[in-house]
Amino acid sequence: MHYDLIIIGMGLSGLMAAKTAAEADKKVLIVGKGMGSLSLFSNTIDALGQVPKTMRMGEGLSQWIKDHPEHPYSKVGPERIEESFSSFLSLFTPPYSFQAIGNTNSFLPTGAGTLRPTYLVPTTMIEATSFDEGRTLIVGFEGFKDFYTHYVANQLKCRGIDFRLPNSLYPELTATALARLMEKQPFRENIGREIRKQLQGETRVGFPALLGMHDPVQVKEELEERIGAKVFEIPILPPSIPGKRIFDRFKEWLIQKGVTFLLGYPVSKAILTEKRCQAIELAHPPVITSYSADRFILATGRFMGGGLKADAEKILEPVFNFSVHQPPSREGWFGNSFFGDLPHPIHRAGVLTNASFQPVDGGGDVILENVWVAGSVLAHHHCIEEKSREGIEIATGYWAAKCALGNS
Amino acid sequence: MKIKTEVLIIGGGATGAGILRDLSLRGIPSVLVEKGDFASGASGRNHGLLHSGGRYAVSDPEAAKECIAENKILRKIAPHCIEETDGLFVSLPEDGLQFRDRFLGACEEAGIPNALCSRDETLAWEPELHPHLVSAVKVPDGAIDPFKLILENAKDAESHGAKFFLHTEVASLRIEGDRIRSVEAKDLATGEELSMEASFFINATGAWANRVLRLAGLHIGMALSKGSLLITNRRLTHRVINHCRPPSDGDIVVPNETVSILGTTSIRLQEVENFEVTPQEASLLVRETSKLIPAIQEARFIRAYAGIRPLFQSEEKGNDRAISRGFALIDHGKRDSIKNLITITGGKLMTYRLMSEKTSDLICEKIGKKVSCSTHVNPLPGASRPTGSKERLQQFLTGGEEILCDCELVRRKEVEAFLGEEKFRDLQDILHRTRLAKGTCQGGFCVYRLLGVLHHLGKAGGDSNRILKEFLEERWKGIRPVLWGTALKEEELIESIYKGIFNL
Repeated sequence: MHYDLIIIGMGLSGLMAAKTAAEADKKVLIVGKGMGSLSLFSNTIDALGQVPKTMRMGEGLSQWIKDHPEHPYSKVGPERIEESFSSFLSLFTPPYSFQAIGNTNSFLPTGAGTLRPTYLVPTTMIEATSFDEGRTLIVGFEGFKDFYTHYVANQLKCRGIDFRLPNSLYPELTATALARLMEKQPFRENIGREIRKQLQGETRVGFPALLGMHDPVQVKEELEERIGAKVFEIPILPPSIPGKRIFDRFKEWLIQKGVTFLLGYPVSKAILTEKRCQAIELAHPPVITSYSADRFILATGRFMGGGLKADAEKILEPVFNFSVHQPPSREGWFGNSFFGDLPHPIHRAGVLTNASFQPVDGGGDVILENVWVAGSVLAHHHCIEEKSREGIEIATGYWAAKCALGNS
Repeated sequence: MKIKTEVLIIGGGATGAGILRDLSLRGIPSVLVEKGDFASGASGRNHGLLHSGGRYAVSDPEAAKECIAENKILRKIAPHCIEETDGLFVSLPEDGLQFRDRFLGACEEAGIPNALCSRDETLAWEPELHPHLVSAVKVPDGAIDPFKLILENAKDAESHGAKFFLHTEVASLRIEGDRIRSVEAKDLATGEELSMEASFFINATGAWANRVLRLAGLHIGMALSKGSLLITNRRLTHRVINHCRPPSDGDIVVPNETVSILGTTSIRLQEVENFEVTPQEASLLVRETSKLIPAIQEARFIRAYAGIRPLFQSEEKGNDRAISRGFALIDHGKRDSIKNLITITGGKLMTYRLMSEKTSDLICEKIGKKVSCSTHVNPLPGASRPTGSKERLQQFLTGGEEILCDCELVRRKEVEAFLGEEKFRDLQDILHRTRLAKGTCQGGFCVYRLLGVLHHLGKAGGDSNRILKEFLEERWKGIRPVLWGTALKEEELIESIYKGIFNL
């Protein structure tokens, strides 16, 4: 099977690249061994956490780009970052849409009761952005081990109540199971009624982020009606239900656009000739299938996704063995303190590319002419500390695909 | 607060707790004071090996005999703290058989049961062993849980009228003439000052012995040796695996519940507080132990830690009662000018009971009381209650309840029951007394959950996010030396949660 473009990796950057290519009417294959960090960590869309609330994100990013010439954002540039965000937003039409409130960072409560800066906020979390106006009640579920109502309420200085479920539901009370329960009308009606009784003048109610998988806005609105207060979701320990919603939306749209979608298979080998990649092989034992394409995008994530691997001495990129920027030895990977003032140096490690996201060696020469690289596998960012994970994925996925298609 | 007792023991390691039990069984009122939790020093920072004595058979026959004798006693009095795994002394082609032959002779000499096993038999028992091994000798090694052993000693002592004060640091000694009148101590949590009067004082502080002696203007000759260990995320062998060669770095792998512990190194230290494992030590341990078990090359490590062995250097001065080469019982009434102070140091976890017995004998001699030791025949209180991994699995399979720690299958009910019944001062106290934070994620998930449960029960004091951050910082010390390979995935996950989602 031959494609115009094969994308390796099904995280947000791979999905964005696939969307960009599908919009250019290309024949696209996207392969991934998992859903990437979307389903684990992404609740909202971060762009750059350190931009103060008083500054517009565009301005903050322009400043950042000036100060960090090697950063992935700098390779994309401010206008195209803007374009990429618009492209992402176009996929999420109401009811479940994302908003950049005042085009600045918003601060949302978390499962540890802290406030966290983020940029694009989904409808189910909008009410959380003005969390500090009026009174809030935190509601959790007794026996759900990934959210602790009183922990969160204590930190946020508000009141919390736990909702008791019938005993039969207790074993394996997971976020996914609760999100499915929330989609059942009698279940949420019951919850809504109970909470209304216990309300003590609170005007907002915060739930762990599991208000349904498919139609969370309907769940939110119905709860609001029953309770008589505004409802919002709070990001919790992985897995992330809001992240899964983003993945599902991309998947639905891409398949509808004719993109071939292969989830669950790792790339076992890349077939190279000279300075080009001819094909990749996917192992689905006992069969190995080969897929060829004119161009490829590598968007395999970091260590968790398998985009980077390390033995006791060095870090490498396992699919193409591209050059990886990294500290000189293992002693330099991590700092002495977990919460040190500086991020651990290993997080800046990643695949070296030129300004068009083509993989380069230490001398700056392109390694493979028809391969581009996108997402968190890239070098020179600290996406966890910067609070820039989704932004980098969206911007580089979009721009790597544009570069790949433009250079035909 | 003022406290008065007959004997005051300083130090809550195995020896201190052992003496507390021994004295209380002999009807001698005693109190123990410890600046941290039980087993904070070397007692809790070793490989948890129930020595057969085989490791010492060739180099130190005296210590070997003590080990096998105590091995037999501990199996009787503390079966619930022991897993009877047996051990193998494995020779590789490069080792030859010369040392093996001396080893067999020395085991006979010391009375250590030993049996030569065929290679096929050995590999059938332990398929992870190097297939080219040339010889294996079976000895009665085992695995022991030091923390449980110490807690059991303390509990039994308590039920016989003894008292202990944890998180209480000795600040000074009040000395009048040739006697110590009292120990002035401070509760580190509340700041409360305690004056502890006693007729006799026992310094059982291991590597910290000279810190206490300094308060009385005394000093003994000691060498501090750091031993570093690594923990794998799974159990590699059923038995204890020893390298059959003269004692050296990285020659032992001890199974412990669901994991294996690789040891050890030996590095001379000047300072007593340096517990850091260097990446070089970690690499050395992997290189050496993987000669025995090649899978260690690819293994995932969950933690590194180090303990400090207090080695007593024998000296000419005074009449030290050096009971054996293993430990030293020093009567400062004879050696120095303080009549009612005794120091017990050196030795090892295996001989804690013997050390306690000899110390208590000396106390009896001094106060003129003729009661003999009974710790070698009286089982510890929990000896009839099984609480091993098999029982936990059984509870998990039949319970269908909420699990707080997915790595170690710790049930929420179990933790809530513990929090309701037991005394605890801080997070580490809880972690020491449960299996929380001992599994693959090293508390990456369950400590947050534990804090959540504390809030749910209305028992959370202080700022939980600060406590959580302090825990993650402490956890980091053990994790950082072993971060390579697949462990990097876990690290990325934990950072993404706490620095990412939770923005701590």
